[in-house]
Amino acid sequence: MLIIKLWNCLRGYVIIKIVGPYCERLINQASLHGIYLWDITRLEEDALLAKVSVRGFFKLRTLVRKTKCKVFIVQKRGLFFSLNRLKRRKLFIIGAALFVAVIYVLSCIVWSVEVNTQDEALKISILSDLEKWGLKPGVFKHNIDKKYFLDKILLNYKNVAWAEIEIRGTKVIVELVNKEMPPQIEDDTPCNIVASKDGVIEEVLPLRGEAKVKPGDTVSKGDVLISGSVSLAGDDQRKMLVRAKGIVKARVWYNESVEVPLVEFVKSYTGRVKKAYKIKIGNREIYIQWGDVKFPKYIEENLQQRYILPPSLGNVSFGAVLYREVKEEKRFLGVEGAAEVARKKLSEKLEGLPQDVQIVQKKMEFTLNPDKQVVLGTLTLEVIEDIGVEQKIN
Amino acid sequence: MKGNKQEGFKSRFLEVLELPKDIVLDLPRITVTGKIGVFIENHKGIMEYSSEQVRINTSLGLVVIKGQDLVIKYVVADEIFVEGKIEAIEFEE
Repeated sequence: MLIIKLWNCLRGYVIIKIVGPYCERLINQASLHGIYLWDITRLEEDALLAKVSVRGFFKLRTLVRKTKCKVFIVQKRGLFFSLNRLKRRKLFIIGAALFVAVIYVLSCIVWSVEVNTQDEALKISILSDLEKWGLKPGVFKHNIDKKYFLDKILLNYKNVAWAEIEIRGTKVIVELVNKEMPPQIEDDTPCNIVASKDGVIEEVLPLRGEAKVKPGDTVSKGDVLISGSVSLAGDDQRKMLVRAKGIVKARVWYNESVEVPLVEFVKSYTGRVKKAYKIKIGNREIYIQWGDVKFPKYIEENLQQRYILPPSLGNVSFGAVLYREVKEEKRFLGVEGAAEVARKKLSEKLEGLPQDVQIVQKKMEFTLNPDKQVVLGTLTLEVIEDIGVEQKIN
Repeated sequence: MKGNKQEGFKSRFLEVLELPKDIVLDLPRITVTGKIGVFIENHKGIMEYSSEQVRINTSLGLVVIKGQDLVIKYVVADEIFVEGKIEAIEFEE
């Protein structure tokens, strides 16, 4: 029945008043002739109100003569009549059309350009380059030649493996995937292998060049381990410069220490938030919010900001601000607890070590410093790792 | 009497075949929704309508719906739907 109602609303219907001594006869005749009448109510002793579609109304008129009833139109309803009425209101139509047109034109314009990539520097430089090449807020989105910009990006940025431009609404989203640059091809610039850390040499494996140290030697940072200047056999004066290559493993010690206070302040969100809105015009900020922020302590968090006007027209942006209430709790850890926290922190540092090191010895110590109310955790680590790095020979 | 006999025969015949009686016997089908609506199929016209009483002609005779604020929601060739506060439905021979 909803379908019929909707259809009638679209086609238009009239509310009629049937006046006569025997109105029921008209209703029966109408239903027999396939005229759909609905919402029939008794108005007075000899008057009925009913609703009938426009086409049905004209058919009804022929029946009216037979049944000696009179039919009056009380009200015309539906889209059909509304449109008829609108014909007289020219300015309103013009306004409505203008509104639609303006919305359409505005939605054709690119309002923001977004670059999706992990690399922050790349993002900024691509954004500025795109603006230079003509992809910036304010251009019509139908004129954007995606292929042209993609080619330009791929040509100018060698470290971009894949790019895609997507126009979503009024937003242009540039998706980028960084390329892992292949390792630099070895050139023939002469190099030494020098120590990057202090340590005791454990193993020297020169692949090219002359080993300057032997196992058991103590080296400090910057010492030459494998020299790139090779003296030719039998002649000490003539030297050949090569790019030294080799593995120098050394015993290296690491010291890490952390301080953990016995009393800890823990900040936690209570879950209560308050939202406010911020309109930024130039350097001025206008906050719109209902009531004050009643939280004793809170963290202000800026949510996404949106430019209302293209940046060329002025710096007007609209953003939401979220105040999150935080609770500060004092927690007494105790010596044991603090030591545990220190152990965790040290373990995290252990994980930060390079992959290829070999741990020989590990020692953790925890001492209590009563003056500062802290537990001092120290980690001594003895590892064997490759300490050689290349250095150019001047 | 003759009519009655025939009716009896027909209805027994239908019982054997399990045919829907309302269709074959040309009876009205009356559906009552709580106390708010009456839906009658296979009617033969409205005899009287006021907001307290609706009399509808069917092959059985008159079906009288009594109540308050009765409104004929819609009426087509063989269906009629009455809404309002229904108080009684009576059959008049």
